[in-house]
Amino acid sequence: MFRNILKSGRRLAGLGSLVAALTVAAPALAQDKEPIVFGGSIPLSGVFAFAGVHLHAGLTDYTSWINSQGGINGHPVKYVMEDTGYEVDRSVAAFKKITGSNTVPVYYGDSTGFMKTIASELNSRGTTLMSGASFATALTDNEQYPYQFIPGPNYSQMFGIILEYIASQGEGGEKPTVAFVYSDTEFGKDPIENGKEKAAELGIDVVEEIVTKPGSVDVSAEVLKLRRVRPDYVVFHGYVLSPINEFMVQMRQMGLDTQFMGTFWSSDKLIIDKMGADADGYMGVMPYNYYDSQESGPMLDALRAQAEKSDPEAGYRPTGYMQGWFNAMVWTEVVKRTLDAGKELNAENMAASLASIKDWDTGGIIGVPVTAKNMSFPVGRIWRVNAEEGRYEPVSDWIQLD
Amino acid sequence: MDWLFFGEISLAGLAMGGLYALIALGFVIIYKATRVINFAIGEIMMFAAYLFLAFAGGLEMSPWVALPLAVLGGSILGGVIEKVMIRPMLGESPISVVMVTIGVASILVGLVELIWGADPQLLPRFLPREPVFIGEMYLAPKIAYGFLIGAALLILYLLYFRFSRGGVALRATASDQAAAYSMGINVRRVFNLAWVFGSLAASLAGVLVAATGGLSPQFGAIGLSVLVVVIVGGLDSILGALIAGVFIGWLETVAGAYLGGEYRMPATFAVLAVILVIRPYGLFGTHEIERV
Repeated sequence: MFRNILKSGRRLAGLGSLVAALTVAAPALAQDKEPIVFGGSIPLSGVFAFAGVHLHAGLTDYTSWINSQGGINGHPVKYVMEDTGYEVDRSVAAFKKITGSNTVPVYYGDSTGFMKTIASELNSRGTTLMSGASFATALTDNEQYPYQFIPGPNYSQMFGIILEYIASQGEGGEKPTVAFVYSDTEFGKDPIENGKEKAAELGIDVVEEIVTKPGSVDVSAEVLKLRRVRPDYVVFHGYVLSPINEFMVQMRQMGLDTQFMGTFWSSDKLIIDKMGADADGYMGVMPYNYYDSQESGPMLDALRAQAEKSDPEAGYRPTGYMQGWFNAMVWTEVVKRTLDAGKELNAENMAASLASIKDWDTGGIIGVPVTAKNMSFPVGRIWRVNAEEGRYEPVSDWIQLD
Repeated sequence: MDWLFFGEISLAGLAMGGLYALIALGFVIIYKATRVINFAIGEIMMFAAYLFLAFAGGLEMSPWVALPLAVLGGSILGGVIEKVMIRPMLGESPISVVMVTIGVASILVGLVELIWGADPQLLPRFLPREPVFIGEMYLAPKIAYGFLIGAALLILYLLYFRFSRGGVALRATASDQAAAYSMGINVRRVFNLAWVFGSLAASLAGVLVAATGGLSPQFGAIGLSVLVVVIVGGLDSILGALIAGVFIGWLETVAGAYLGGEYRMPATFAVLAVILVIRPYGLFGTHEIERV
């Protein structure tokens, strides 16, 4: 416990010094040109803080790395953020404060709620391109959200990748059956309707849908429902850890040989660390290579080196870190393409630059060249937990959706 | 109708309801004796569960040593909160006191995030994992054993309130503070005792619920959801807390199983609305008549 206190203290001290260093010292690192500001409403506290601290670390480390590489076309990069507590009103206030005192071409939004709320202002300003922690399907509606993108597949596309994998596991012309388990939240419900359509298209029978109350709940009644239909696969969405563990343990106690899968936020190493041997066999869809995977590439190696340099004691970096880093990578690519084309850095030009990304080599962050489609990158891979090794291992090739 | 399924669902609901009853007891003991609605009860539960995590996980103690230590820690916390923050508020308006408990809840969440971080946690396993069958009906082991441990504490409480001097003092103070004071009962000490006992029940429930559903700094929200139980049963009725806890647990589970998970809360709030219309003071609460 005391080690945890010290660790937390160090982390908070580290965060404070990083923020100070980035806001004060970054220009000093740099070249004569005006800095390009990466803005961010970051959830360092509140319900999403478990991921927020790592998203922040990914963004911070990427900023240090890109500055060490000479910035973007000679422009230094400055990362300016505010803690939001994962509250929409505070995120909006942070956005107004940061964009009020800086010219901010790209911005990190901490939630779907914030990104939807700020959309009309973002559209009328026309100065800033936004992405963030959200993979919400709605945000890929280009009519309503022309200046927002998803740094990977959206949740419906994640379900699409999972279902394509499940369909490929059928034997003798028989398709496996599947059950969807999701939380009773906007986040949880996001991909369900599209997921059902995709399942029907692939000939997969969705035999049960379970909605659970968010938060700590007993799910034994829901497990009893699943026992009656005996699905080959259960796909979870809208959770980080609980109640996935309870479903898996109780269904295995009942002798079911169901396999369990989850989407991005349900597929971090946290599942292995907390569940131990019970996590064995759990599968997740992930658009990025895991930090501790055996994959490599110039950018993935640079990420690992920068992570090691900024905090040698941190060890494994969670998927939130990879997500933060990849967001900043896309921003850099978009800004660079816009500047190279001699265009002004405004939302419309940057959105056009984003749409022009085709077969982009991410240096190993994603294992195949990626193409932006409808403001998202619909690509991912299925990874399975090897509890003995304490990590996820790939069980599919990279799956790209049309 | 599949009666076996209905039986299994009902059993799971009743067992979960037992844990709700334990949390509700924490609310009611404090309210009954001191007239304070403790909005920090969920956070006291959370703090005790984190203490269990620290003892059994961090310090690798036997869970059966860690459990009483965590529960003791939670009850001491309740006593300290009463002495340091609630007692100075004696005589102030009830709203002010309620606001203090909300403030305490925020402080506890911040403290937990500072010490243990924001990551979701699972408690070390300490309940048997073998499935429990009652006849042909399956019951999840964590819920079954959690219910038994909770029920044991409830019985101890009922015996204590019925037969011990402390219990009689508590009941006397709850029934008439002025009369209890005039009979030589140390009312301030009784207030403190109520917070200790209320927090003890909540702490045990906290560890048992966290063992089932996981733990995070937002865990305390479950305390507020049990407010429905307390209002249905009657804010000042221990019997009401027990009956309403078990009933709401059952109703929530049956509604979730047959109507879908999204109907769990509407079902319980529908009952709450009906009860508030018919008996605003709860099923077993005291109907106070104010004469002007």
